[in-house]
Amino acid sequence: MTVHEPSPVVNESSSPQQVSSHQSEPLVKVEGLHKWFGKLHVLQGLDFEVRRGEVVVLLGPSGSGKSTLLRCINFLEEPQKGRVTVGGVTVECGRWGRAYQRAVHAVRLQCGMVFQEFNLFPHKSVTENIIEAPMLVKGMSKEEATKRARELLEKVGLSDRADYFPSQISGGQKQRVAIARAMAMDPQLMLFDEPTSALDPELIGEVLKVMKDLANAGMTMIVVTHEMGFARDVADRCIFMDGGVFVEEDTPEHLFFHPREERTKQFLRHILPKAEDSVERHPGGGGAPLEFDS
Amino acid sequence: MKRRSVTTAVPLIGALLMVWVLALVPVAAAGTKLPKVTYTVPSTPNSMTVQSWSGDSVLVYYTRGSSPVDPERCELYINGTRVPVSPAPQAASIGGGNQIQFPIAASYSVPKGDDTFRVVLVTQAGERVDYSWKYKFGGAASTAPSLVNFTVMRQWGGYIAKGGVATVYLTVVSIAIAVVFALLGALGRLAGRMGLREAWDKYHSWGYVGLHTLRLIPYWIATFYTSLFRGTPLLLQIFVIYYAVPAIILWGRARWGIFNSVPFPSAIVSGIAALSLNYGAYLTEVFRAGIQAVPKGQTEAAWALGLSGSQTQRRIILPQAFKIVIPAVGNDFIALIKDTSLLSTIAVDELLHRATLVGGRTFNFLSALLVAAAVYWALTIFFSFWQARLERRMERDRARA
Repeated sequence: MTVHEPSPVVNESSSPQQVSSHQSEPLVKVEGLHKWFGKLHVLQGLDFEVRRGEVVVLLGPSGSGKSTLLRCINFLEEPQKGRVTVGGVTVECGRWGRAYQRAVHAVRLQCGMVFQEFNLFPHKSVTENIIEAPMLVKGMSKEEATKRARELLEKVGLSDRADYFPSQISGGQKQRVAIARAMAMDPQLMLFDEPTSALDPELIGEVLKVMKDLANAGMTMIVVTHEMGFARDVADRCIFMDGGVFVEEDTPEHLFFHPREERTKQFLRHILPKAEDSVERHPGGGGAPLEFDS
Repeated sequence: MKRRSVTTAVPLIGALLMVWVLALVPVAAAGTKLPKVTYTVPSTPNSMTVQSWSGDSVLVYYTRGSSPVDPERCELYINGTRVPVSPAPQAASIGGGNQIQFPIAASYSVPKGDDTFRVVLVTQAGERVDYSWKYKFGGAASTAPSLVNFTVMRQWGGYIAKGGVATVYLTVVSIAIAVVFALLGALGRLAGRMGLREAWDKYHSWGYVGLHTLRLIPYWIATFYTSLFRGTPLLLQIFVIYYAVPAIILWGRARWGIFNSVPFPSAIVSGIAALSLNYGAYLTEVFRAGIQAVPKGQTEAAWALGLSGSQTQRRIILPQAFKIVIPAVGNDFIALIKDTSLLSTIAVDELLHRATLVGGRTFNFLSALLVAAAVYWALTIFFSFWQARLERRMERDRARA
């Protein structure tokens, strides 16, 4: 077995073969994951791995199961079949009882999650939102947790909003607090469920910047997003999902500009109306129209 | 600003009502030596249907002097003639007031007419207090009778108003117990958020469905409880607990030899039990709705952060649900203040019971009931004011910058 240097960011020239050849120990391992909502088979036996430090973007039309997959990784949705391993903790799905609950809790402690609707606690100030879980779950002292919260707020650029309530700050600020809140638990893995979809266009940039900083700092991330610019700049791998299965998996460059599957092309036509043209104009995959920065 | 002026006016009205009620409380004036007649029945002027004085009674209400009145030595005169009283005049006392009843002997068969009454109250010290009034029989009264008798209010107002203490006590104790019932009920009701069908869908396992059936037992108990107590009248529940529970206890003793050490519930215990069970059922639904009104994302965020189920409930869901239910709970609290009056039917010594008692004694229900109404109104205004204050304070906490 060849051991490759684990590189958090895949360079421009990396081919699909190279991506799959990275053999460093996976942080997340999902095997044969099935999820039904009633009779609806939402996830139809998914297998995938995420290496430490990797940034994976999940793409797909609504109802394709990408959000469900994300929520199955930290068991906000409970899959009926399959196995999920995060940071060495394995949960056999379709079980219940104390051992299962403990395993799920152990997995949740390794995952931070950021929601589309922020889900900040409205009855707590920004700082209280951040220190709640470290104090309750990790038994951290208030002083210690507050000190950590200040550092995190500094990182997301919200030091001056520490004592505000969620109702008093903007959507972008809320989402940055939500990221800080998740980071306060020192997770191994960050899950982002359409973090910018509920934001005004001019507030998206500030959230994406924080996410980019996080990725550059080596955080392992699984991101459900439609921000193609972010995917192109940050993601090591993009997975296109439809109908509960993985249709195509590749580097962002390849997936966006040289999709192999017809379904992927169809989807990209909707999300990037000019993608085809840009491929014509920039055969090397320059992707000028993909620049999201406004 | 406009809103503010309205909210300050409300407690002002309440305070004025309180002052008026308190003004009715007789203050024992220092140095008052002699008893003082405050009210008489038959009153002046009045119309009675009994044709003869024979067998009728004359009631005299008075405030005590320094020496107690000796009922045996008191005298009654009609049109200047001493009236034979048989049996001897009897003293009675309800609340702070005193009363002497003169049962007119059968031998005095003078028909009723426009009569002049006179009583002489004799104290044990031998002092004599003379009081006379005119009585108009039938037909048009010489002067229009006053609808509201302020003398009655003055004498009995304090006695009635003090029933408000019992009313507040019953309300506070009942709501406290009701909240406990309601929290348990709400948790039970919420245990059924996942039905059997969803439980099957979750794992497609009969074992899990069986386990979930056991988990649904609290839900079914809570559902039965709220349905029963919201589906039957509160008055009926009061009667069942007060009248039927002793019957059940007696039956148990006779049939099975059980309940031997279980006492019959007193009127107050029965009343509090009925009120708290009934309001617990309503508050169960209020709490359930309040907890469900907290967005699901709050639970998910807490779980994603690693909080346990009980930590999520205590730290995240319940504080938010509490804010949501304050208006509804306040509403029920105020409704409960008024529903304690139903306990007058099982002779709990509270506000309305005292008012009806005084109304019956003085034949002036309006005056007595008006006093009770004023006290109820003042209480509800007072508590609505506190409720509004609490709501405002929680809003301010939230908007604190």
